[in-house]
Order: sequence, then C-alpha cells, then structure tokens
Amino acid sequence: MQVLQYLINGISIGAVYAIIALGYTMVYGIAKMLNFAHGDVIMVGAYISFCVTNYLGLPAIVSVIAAMGVCTILGIIIEKLAYKPLRGTSSLAVLITAIGVSYFLQNAAQLIWSSSPKNFTSIVTMDPIALFDGRLIITGEVLVTVLISALVMVGLTLFTGKTKTGKAMRAVSEDRDAAQLMGINVNQTISTTFAIGSALAAIAGVLLCSTVPTLMPTTGSMPGIRAFTAAVLGGIGSIPGAMLGGILLGIIETLSKAYLSTQFSDAIVFSVLIIILLVKPAGLLGKQVQEKV
Amino acid sequence: MLKIDDIHVYYGAIHAIKGVSFEVNDGEIVALIGANGAGKSTILKTISGLMHPRSGSINFCGQDISHTDAYKLLRTGLAHVPEGRRIFLQMTVQENLEMGAYINKEVSQEDLDRIFTYFPRLKERRKQIAGTLSGGEQQMLAMSRALMSHPKLMMLDEPSMGLAPILVDQIFDIIRELHKAGTTILLVEQNARKALQVADRAYVLETGVITLNGTGEELANSDDVKKAYLGG
Repeated sequence: MQVLQYLINGISIGAVYAIIALGYTMVYGIAKMLNFAHGDVIMVGAYISFCVTNYLGLPAIVSVIAAMGVCTILGIIIEKLAYKPLRGTSSLAVLITAIGVSYFLQNAAQLIWSSSPKNFTSIVTMDPIALFDGRLIITGEVLVTVLISALVMVGLTLFTGKTKTGKAMRAVSEDRDAAQLMGINVNQTISTTFAIGSALAAIAGVLLCSTVPTLMPTTGSMPGIRAFTAAVLGGIGSIPGAMLGGILLGIIETLSKAYLSTQFSDAIVFSVLIIILLVKPAGLLGKQVQEKV
Repeated sequence: MLKIDDIHVYYGAIHAIKGVSFEVNDGEIVALIGANGAGKSTILKTISGLMHPRSGSINFCGQDISHTDAYKLLRTGLAHVPEGRRIFLQMTVQENLEMGAYINKEVSQEDLDRIFTYFPRLKERRKQIAGTLSGGEQQMLAMSRALMSHPKLMMLDEPSMGLAPILVDQIFDIIRELHKAGTTILLVEQNARKALQVADRAYVLETGVITLNGTGEELANSDDVKKAYLGG
C-alpha cells in the first residue's frame, strides 16, 4: 500500500513537471532554443497568485487567472527583449542570455518580495480522500494537479492537431524557412509559443506551491531543471514526450527519495536521464527524422 | 511581372551574386541554368525574401520587394518551391496542403480537387505522413502546396533533382500544364536539356554572373551551352 501512496504522490509531482516540461519542449521545438528562464517564470506566477490571494483577498481562481495573465505578458516581453534580437546568432549566445534572464528574474523577485520564504496557501480547498481505512490518502492537490495536467495535455494536442495556428506552429518547428514561404509569420508564431508556455508555467507555479508551500525567489529553478530533464527524457520537441517524461521523473524522484536516499534523489534522477540518452539519444518519444531524396 | 535589377547578394563575406539582372514577363516560362554553386538557388531565395540583396532591386508586379519579409510575399502572388522540396515531413499530405493555403481564409475543396486532378497519387495518400512518400511524390506535394495559394508566379528550384527519368518527364509535363493554365514560371534546373525544352527564354548563370541569355531553343543550339551543360 505504501508503494501505491508513493506512486500517487510521484504522479502528482510528475504532473507538475510535465506542465513545465511542455513549456520547455514547445519553445525548443519552435524557437530552437532552451529557455532556461522558464523555471523562474513559474516562480513569478506563484508570487502573483500569492499576492492576489493574500494581499488583495481575492478568490483562488482569480489569482490563477491573474498569474497566467502576468506570466503570458512576461513571456512575450522576455522573448521580444532578450531572445528576438539574437535570432540567427549562435545558440550559445541565446543560451547564455537565457541564463542571464533567469538570474534577472530571481533577483528582481528578491527585490520585490525579499528572500525570506512566503508560506503559500494551497488553492485547493478539497478534503483529502482516505481509502483502505486511511492507509491510502489522496489529497485534493493530487487530484487537481493530475486533472489539470491531463486537461492541458488534451487541450494542447487538440490545439496543435486541429487549429490553424497550432498547425502553423508545427510547420515552423519543422522547417522555419518553408513555413515562411507558406506565408506564416515566424516571429509571431514564436511569440505565441512563449505566451502559451508562460501561461502554462503560471499554472505549474500555483500547483507546485500548493503541493510544496515554500515560496522563495529560487523556488522555480530546481523544478525548472528537473522539468527540462523530463522534456529531454521524453524527447525534446515532443508534446506527449514532455508529459511522459514529467510523470516518469516524478515517480522516479519520489520512489528514490522513499527507498534509496533523499540526498541522492536528484543524482538518481539525472543518472536515469544519462542512461536513457545513451540508449535512446532522441529521448523516449523523440522522433529521428530521416530525410529522403 | 518580375524584374531583377543588378542585385548583389552576400553570404557573410562571400560575394555570391555579382550584379545579376533579368526579367520574367507575364505568361512566360523562364529557365535559369548553370552548374552547381553558380548561385541559382541563392537568386530564388533572394527573390522570395529568405535572403536580401545588399544592393540592386527586385520588382514584382510593380512593387519593390527587395527587402520584404518572406512571409509577406506569398500574399502578393509569388510562390517558391524550394530546393530539396522542404515539405513538412512529419505532417500528413492533407496538412501540408492546408499549410499551402495558410494565407487563404479556409482550405477550399475546389482547390484540393484541382490539385488532385494534376496529382491523383496525392489524393490516395492524403492521410499519409509526408515523410513516407517517395521522392517523386514529395516533389508533387511541394508543387501542390505552392499551388494552393493561386500564385501568379511560381518559382521552382530543381524540381527534377534526384528523380527517376520517367518521373522527371512527368514533372515537366505538369510544369507545361500549369503554364497552359496561366501560371508564369521561373525554373531553376541543373537538367539543362529538359529546362531548355520547356522554357520560352533562359539565362545561363556562372559563379554569380549571367553569361548568356536567349530563347530556350537558341541556347539549346548554342555551342557554348552544348559544351558546358548538354554534354557536347
């Protein structure tokens, strides 16, 4: 029964990683860059939600919408100011800029909200469900997290599969020049991608802090790196891959914390990544496209 | 319709196109032939806005487009089927065609039917992932995708590259048909013999400079062209 409990908690934290990983993977797929500031957008989202509920006294749902709105705008601004001018330059320059943006966001948050941790109140008010005479407990956070990440996954799949904008995104991700020749505005598509990724980051931030209630300016960085690992594990650029990678990572992390070692859990998680990449370099669901002549 | 006036194009420090001028008139098939690396594809990329000339001008239907972004040009009626087809390999045939109609409000069934009469093979394979098509089918898809937007001028870059002779014949038959249906065509080819057969006029490009021009027939009979491009 204990295993099942760990498994459920693992899936729950994994679902948060999955939502973050979706942001990484979409931006990578379309803009061909690793947005290492993505984790810090999560932190900003959580702070916005915290402020709206605690200082303005508004309901949780309003705080989530506010967080999504702020993060969407933040994502678009970051892309415009920091990344767009570097388009066409070396990917190393973009990567270093992304790390710079990450530090900028952390330090800005420290200035605004100070470095002392805030105690985030969970947005979920539902009582936990006890099964098997209380031996298995499913908290409201777990249910809401899993449900929302499933919804996000279905929504994104429909969006990229059925809508014109979504298909244009796939086209840009596959061949930027060819997409332009179809009349697709690549800059606008990249901007839209950042907007979607950042809105998802806001959701992830609120869910993350509802499960782990300590909110600090560095709150987003470690989950961000783990989610990046999840995206690579699942196959970067692949939406189902990000989902699978996130859940797997959450389970591995929780189980290794429970049965192996708490201190080494990150080392174990990253070792799994290394092993999988050695065996399957494109990640679990990553496609290796073969060109035909 | 299209007038290129003394364009110079660079790849960094490399001077790839050194003052090229030519024009394509309404209703013509114009071929641009030349060896590998002569700059043929660079010229097409510069016309379609994927690259920009450092100097000189490109005029399409009375508009200077030398510094217009690539994505705006399809709306002016200029379509470019790039070298190597560049279809979206992970999307289905149908989705590729939809991308071709991206600038239209919606994908019209009429357009699809028109395309499927040119290329019946694509109709059978419309649900298939484009990456699984054969080389010839991929070329057909690349051309169809460009046709979805009803271009006035279609630029084809090496449409016969890597195809079996029978498919090359098919592709050139279709080029003739498209032309008959009213599309103006700018054709870039290494297969000079084929290109000169269909072309009203042609230009010979050598390392970034146009060295010869004339009607397709004139060039096909010119000793210089015969020696250099038609195998004696």
